[in-house]
Amino acid sequence: MRHVEHVRTHRAVSPWLFLLPGLATVTAFSLYPFLTTLHKAFTDARTLTPGGWVGLRNFRDMAQDEQFWIALRNSSLYVVLVVPFTVLLPLLLALLVQKRIPGVAFFRSAFYTPVVASSVVVALIWGWMLDDRGLVNGILRALGAGPFAFLGDEWLLLFSAMALTVWKGLGYYMIIYLAALAHVPRELYEAAAVDGAGALRRFTAVTVPGVRSTMVLVGALSSVAAFKVFSEVFLLAGPTGGPAGQDTTLVMLVQRTGTGLNGRVGYSSALSLVVFAVALLLMLLVLRADRTRRRT
Amino acid sequence: MSRTTPWEKAVRYVLLLAVLALTVGPFLWQLSTSFKSTTEDVYTSPPRFLPARPTAHNYAAVADIIPVWDYALNSLKVAVASVLTNLAGASAAGYALARLRFRGRRAAGLAFVAAVLVPLESIVVAQFTMMRDLELNNTLVAVVLPGAVGALNVLLMRNAFANLPYEIEEAAVIDGANVWQRFVRIALPSVRGTLAVVAVFSFMGAWDDFLWPLIVLSDPDRFTLTVGLNHLHGTFQQDPRLVAAGTVVAVAPLVVMFACLQRYFFRGVGEGAVKG
Amino acid sequence: MPIPRRAVAATVPLLVSALTLTACGSGGTDSGGGDAGGKPEGDITFQTWNLRSNFKDYFTGLVAEFEKANPGARVKWLDQPADNYADKLSADAAAGTLPDVVNVSPDLSYPLAKAGLLMNLDKEPAAAKFKGEYTPEAWQGNVLPGLDGSYSFPWYLNTGPLFYNKALFRQAGLDPEKPPKSYGELFAAARTIAERSGGRIATLGGTPAVEDFGRYGVRLMNDDATRFTYNEPKGVELLTEYKKLYDAGGLDPQSLTNTPDKTGQKFLEQKVAMNPGSAHDLETFKKNAPGLYRELGITDAPNNTGKPNMYVMGLGVSSRSKHKAAAIAFARFVTDRKNQEAFTHKVAVFPSTKGSLDDPYWTRDDGTDEGRVRVASAKMLKGAVNYTPVVLSEEMKTALKNEVAKALQGKKTPKQALDDAVAQSNKLLKQG
Repeated sequence: MRHVEHVRTHRAVSPWLFLLPGLATVTAFSLYPFLTTLHKAFTDARTLTPGGWVGLRNFRDMAQDEQFWIALRNSSLYVVLVVPFTVLLPLLLALLVQKRIPGVAFFRSAFYTPVVASSVVVALIWGWMLDDRGLVNGILRALGAGPFAFLGDEWLLLFSAMALTVWKGLGYYMIIYLAALAHVPRELYEAAAVDGAGALRRFTAVTVPGVRSTMVLVGALSSVAAFKVFSEVFLLAGPTGGPAGQDTTLVMLVQRTGTGLNGRVGYSSALSLVVFAVALLLMLLVLRADRTRRRT
Repeated sequence: MSRTTPWEKAVRYVLLLAVLALTVGPFLWQLSTSFKSTTEDVYTSPPRFLPARPTAHNYAAVADIIPVWDYALNSLKVAVASVLTNLAGASAAGYALARLRFRGRRAAGLAFVAAVLVPLESIVVAQFTMMRDLELNNTLVAVVLPGAVGALNVLLMRNAFANLPYEIEEAAVIDGANVWQRFVRIALPSVRGTLAVVAVFSFMGAWDDFLWPLIVLSDPDRFTLTVGLNHLHGTFQQDPRLVAAGTVVAVAPLVVMFACLQRYFFRGVGEGAVKG
Repeated sequence: MPIPRRAVAATVPLLVSALTLTACGSGGTDSGGGDAGGKPEGDITFQTWNLRSNFKDYFTGLVAEFEKANPGARVKWLDQPADNYADKLSADAAAGTLPDVVNVSPDLSYPLAKAGLLMNLDKEPAAAKFKGEYTPEAWQGNVLPGLDGSYSFPWYLNTGPLFYNKALFRQAGLDPEKPPKSYGELFAAARTIAERSGGRIATLGGTPAVEDFGRYGVRLMNDDATRFTYNEPKGVELLTEYKKLYDAGGLDPQSLTNTPDKTGQKFLEQKVAMNPGSAHDLETFKKNAPGLYRELGITDAPNNTGKPNMYVMGLGVSSRSKHKAAAIAFARFVTDRKNQEAFTHKVAVFPSTKGSLDDPYWTRDDGTDEGRVRVASAKMLKGAVNYTPVVLSEEMKTALKNEVAKALQGKKTPKQALDDAVAQSNKLLKQG
């Protein structure tokens, strides 16, 4: 926040009036219900019974739950491997469609379709593409490789789901970048061009500094989204989380243990709490890293 | 103005077409399946991309099974309400967080960050119980409320306002404009791009949401489109053509809306449009 | 929950039968009003599970007919879409907004009944008197272990044959007119197909689920349903057979993760040679995969017990219903012989009312494929059982699926895998 040190130019109550609708909504419908979750994490509540206080038992059970550690590993890997792509590729895509060239409006809209395409259809198509006898293996075979069991091997499944996440994120983060790129002054590019800077140099010297705070925001948001991944893995690897459950993610485990009429709401709430805590840590880390970098 | 060489242009189009193939393939296949006639095998492997004898029959059949227009109207109400509340609420909150100095700002910002992080799966039942206590269950208002001001949108708006040079408000401060006037007349018009993004995100979020409207609505007359369309997955008979026609009906408005709004993403400070 | 005045007014003239109140709503949560034995009056809600798309006219007709016969009773029909039905029920059950009459299968009615949210029909004279109208197997199929009674009126039943792809059989050099009949023949055929196609054609799309263990003759649980026992030698034997099949390429490469839906899709795409199904699938084959339909073979699903597997659907009555009499009357009306037969004529499922299956429609083969499968399935239903234990939760099913996968991958021996699945499920069962 670069412009903090200014005289106050408003009444003390004004900020709170501005914040009221938003703050009231998130408090009433997200934060307050989450307090229930917080409480339930220390009970043995089930879907239809309130349960009693059990202290830290759910967390002790978690430590001994093999599935939990697998899920924690998968969700963490997701962050590490997906976020670099969701931060960079949409920015490059935004640069590609930013220029006014004939037909670009069509391309912009077309690139957004993965975001809105129904997940069932996406799963079907990706299923066909990645099948043993599907499109991707067909291409690979023509190149003399494969076939690969994209949908049968636990690791290939996880990587395929990551590719799907990146693919869906392209259009989504692209439009955030487009809005930010509009604020990068043209003159900077022109000055760089006059200095004889090439495309790469213009990217690192003008574009990246210009949209830095947006890159940080996208990084933070996509880290959280990646850590909370559910549908892409669920769709490709199935509800049981891949072969022998090896592709289960944390939110899948929250859903598996906590929903339905037999749901172990207590245990599932404890898992939710862990998801929340780690996501918060991630978000703060990304923002903190940004702040220290800015100071140096 | 930097000039585009023909060679650079060609590379650009090649790249655009490559990404295009990756992104719209599924949508086109969906479109194609929705036009396939009943005697055509839809489970060929590899999938056939063009219908042998195209027919619009599936769309009529969808409208026959569920009241598509009523459901679409319900969805439209929910989505438009969500866009309006989000534009107003998220921009106001984002402005306060980015441009105003006050005690408690950090805590307020943290509240929105925390709200982004809450795993929705864990609070649905609590939200539903709350709606019942407010006697709002089974109403469209209850569908809108939890997402009326999305925390994510607040963070996006905060980022957009924070990126504005402070000078653009200075003149107004000197002229004696109050905070509301500065917000409406100066700050908002400068972040039109992000407002368009928030509009698209909240429209899409409300239009696509399935689990929450399913839980909170019981009366079939009030179903939104995504909930209603789920009826097309018949219990005893599956017809992929109907499902495809249904999803096209659901997705088309989103693509149209995006196509209409996309030009706003390119309007920044003081410029009507970016020229290439 | 306060009792609305309307409900009280309806009850007053019927104080004579108020004694029955003591019997209604088992589980001690009788917070609802309404006299179960009284005259069917009041507004009730009736919730089905995804039947609107094909049977809208049938249900609106039923409601109109019931309302005509019972002036004073009004029924609001709600139909929930296919996905997340259990989540919808959970939210309603937790918030106390469960519909008066609700479409449930035994695995859904069990947790609801255990929480005291469904009426024990055996303990409620106004409902129990209709018991004789249903086949004993169907009524028994809705009796819940440890809860001392049945908690839903039996509705439609389903069972089915094993479908196979004659073209794939022919390609593998097997006689398409001689499908396997026993487990031994099935496994042998699968091995042959895998060998002759060089591993390109799998026979089965999925791994064995709990009902497969049941049909194989494995004892799934102890008698009072407090402990799982499918790790007994018979179960290990079945899993060992599957392991051999998996190694030989007899199972689809994605079988470890396939859901039943996905398996069905693979069969439609002609990627697997055999798939279990039911009579109403014929319509799907004809419409969506005519190429497959031309090559469709139909055979009995093998079993070692003499008892085929069946799926049962029922209608439960909320124990908190404010108009129990109307709710019971309507649930029974929907499931009576006339209405069940009408429904099961519309779609190829089977009625659970006594004597219905003796009707020529279900006994005489009219020469069509539909007729043949219908008659064969109806015959199978006599003596069929629902193998899936009602106490088996989704989480326990996942445990079984994932342990079976470990055995097939060779990470564990079949014995170890089943021991572990049983241990996990027993632990969950004890917590519940």
